[in-house]
Amino acid sequence: MTLVLSLAVAVLFGSGSYLLLQRDLVRVVGGVVLISSAATLFVMSASLTKGTAPILPLPNGQPVSDPLVQAMALTAIVITFGVSALLLALVYRVYVSHLSLDLEDLAAAEEQAEAVDEAMGGRLERAPMTAEERDEWAMR
Amino acid sequence: MITALTRTVAKLLFLPSLMIAVATLVKGYADVGDGFTAGVIAGLAVLLQVIVLGRDEVERMLPLRWAPRLAFAGIALALLDALAPLAFGQPVMTHLPPANVKPIHLGSLELLSAVVFDVGVFLLVFGFSVAAIDLLGRASPDRLP
Amino acid sequence: MGDALTLMAPIAIFWAGGIGVAAIDGWRGMTARGALVVHLAGFGALALLAARVLTSGPVGMIAGNWPAGVGIRFRADPLGIAFALLSSLVLIVAVAYEAIGGTPTRAFPALSLFLAAGLTGLFLTADAFNFYVFFELSMISAYVLTAFGGQPRQLRAAVIFAVVNLLGSVIFLLGIVALYHVTGSLDMTDIAQRMAFAEQNPAILSGTLLFVAFGVKLGLFPFHFWLPAVYTGVRPSIAAILSGALTNIGTYGLLRFGGEMLPRELSLAAPALALLGTASILYGAVQAIGRAAPDEVVAYSAIGQVGYVMIALAIGGAAGYGAAILFAIINALNKTLLFLAIDLRGAFVGPAVAIGALSVAGAPPAAGFFGKAALFRAGLTVGDGAERAALVALIAAGGALSLLYMFQAFGRRYLEPRAEERPASGRGRRRLVAVVALSLLVFGCWPEPLIALSERAAAVLPGRLP
Repeated sequence: MTLVLSLAVAVLFGSGSYLLLQRDLVRVVGGVVLISSAATLFVMSASLTKGTAPILPLPNGQPVSDPLVQAMALTAIVITFGVSALLLALVYRVYVSHLSLDLEDLAAAEEQAEAVDEAMGGRLERAPMTAEERDEWAMR
Repeated sequence: MITALTRTVAKLLFLPSLMIAVATLVKGYADVGDGFTAGVIAGLAVLLQVIVLGRDEVERMLPLRWAPRLAFAGIALALLDALAPLAFGQPVMTHLPPANVKPIHLGSLELLSAVVFDVGVFLLVFGFSVAAIDLLGRASPDRLP
Repeated sequence: MGDALTLMAPIAIFWAGGIGVAAIDGWRGMTARGALVVHLAGFGALALLAARVLTSGPVGMIAGNWPAGVGIRFRADPLGIAFALLSSLVLIVAVAYEAIGGTPTRAFPALSLFLAAGLTGLFLTADAFNFYVFFELSMISAYVLTAFGGQPRQLRAAVIFAVVNLLGSVIFLLGIVALYHVTGSLDMTDIAQRMAFAEQNPAILSGTLLFVAFGVKLGLFPFHFWLPAVYTGVRPSIAAILSGALTNIGTYGLLRFGGEMLPRELSLAAPALALLGTASILYGAVQAIGRAAPDEVVAYSAIGQVGYVMIALAIGGAAGYGAAILFAIINALNKTLLFLAIDLRGAFVGPAVAIGALSVAGAPPAAGFFGKAALFRAGLTVGDGAERAALVALIAAGGALSLLYMFQAFGRRYLEPRAEERPASGRGRRRLVAVVALSLLVFGCWPEPLIALSERAAAVLPGRLP
């Protein structure tokens, strides 16, 4: 079981890192999600005891599984959920303002904008912020 | 591939999914379930509608633009419930009634201060996910400025 | 007031204020001022808590009235309170900077409050996993804050910052779970007690994971790659928040997790810390000298300055930890001043930047001198002659190099012939910067409160191992 779990964590982490190194921003977000899932799986695998569900009334004499790691895994899932929504919103914002999902294009656009900025002799007016993807971490 | 069949099924599924979400929320105190799961289920129900019917059509049925306010109400409710015991000199998140007192039952629903917290979490997660779906649902090429 | 109320009041004020400010839409001038008022109220609550902690000992509370070991524990001790006060102060300055200039969106004030809630929570918790949750709360706010402005530079900075720091957060989570797996507890005190009996290899592994995670937050030498692009890309107030408030997470985390929970592993890692610290100092200084843009100079200088914190941690013991805390406090104030001032023009600004530059270099009239002096004194408590000589040489060389790059940038910025022609910035912002600079001078002349606070904070941690 330990071997299977560690293999699963390793494969998830590896594929996540591969995606993270791509230039396409949507793949980067995918990589972040995969790596976070690897972490969640690792949390689950760190449980101290395994057995039946730890809900009262407890069955006599049978071991119950460690409820703490499940709470931690749930929290990690919630945080991943919020963070992926946030990242997608950010990527959407990038796409709206550049019509591209490539970080290199973004750097090029940045240089261009700086040249314009320099020519106009001041900072350009700023665009409005993205939506409020931030309120969800609070729950546990 | 969106056909008449998927549209019908999606519409049929909407109310039952919301009911399952509410059931998950309510029975969380005697069985498996909680506010977060309920919020995600309800959010997924809306997501299905947006994917199948398109955001514009869903917006005619549901006030999607109210979702952020729902999230604000939820987090305010949860925070209020968590901090309220401070006013009575108790640590945050203290249950009311305490653990050894039998709570009042309304059918299978137990009246606990923790339920209020979970309702807040449900509203927050539901409002947040619908707002995120709404935002990303607008992300189609023909809508770009 | 009851313990629970005193302890939770700052977090509650920041959090509820954040929700309130986020909910009022449309009154743009109001949001920034309202947030400033909430920040000040939260700082007041923190100061009350600090007074109580410093006079009558640590304050604790277990959430939900659960028995100890079951519930999540909060506690305020001098170490946590010192960093909470510092971060709150930096946030006040940054929010005031935006409020004076007329903040364009409602997102910034609300997010700054959520960030304050997260930071205060993580400095006041005694539960490792709760630390992670508050840590993520502050990081998520910071991810959105870096995008503030919406320019290509800022968006790119936000993407880089979010992806790199998410990776750091995942590694931190793995470290905490590893600690739980080894000790079977999430309470920091229990972990500290049980870690002393843990096997060495798992302990070293967890320690390394935590070190990497906090190294990423700090922008320490091998993990610094994200820092220059982000610090130069974001707006000055955000850069001040990132380097003045968020970096504290790294220093505090290393002190709390390394100094309190894994002291054996920390002293084992002392040579590596010293090496990385030296590399950081030299790398930051050399890169800063080669840069022309003032914001890049300050960004690379930030990499160099965390190196000193590493050296202090490597020295260890009460003196070393005290020096690390004092240095971190003064460095956060320096960086706040420099990032805010570097973009301004007009009267007061030149002298303010000069004071910041002197403070970074550790020259006498500014507070930075006492940071370096404490490090120096701590260094004299350990090691043989050669080690001491190396330390003295390093501090002297680092100071000389930072004096060189700071005044190179200063000269380029303020002494060039055309400098007078540029339009001056708003008077309010210039006054704010002048006040921060003045406070650095005041602390430079009267450092006793800071030194006393850092000594009290360091006394929380166990002393040097035999």
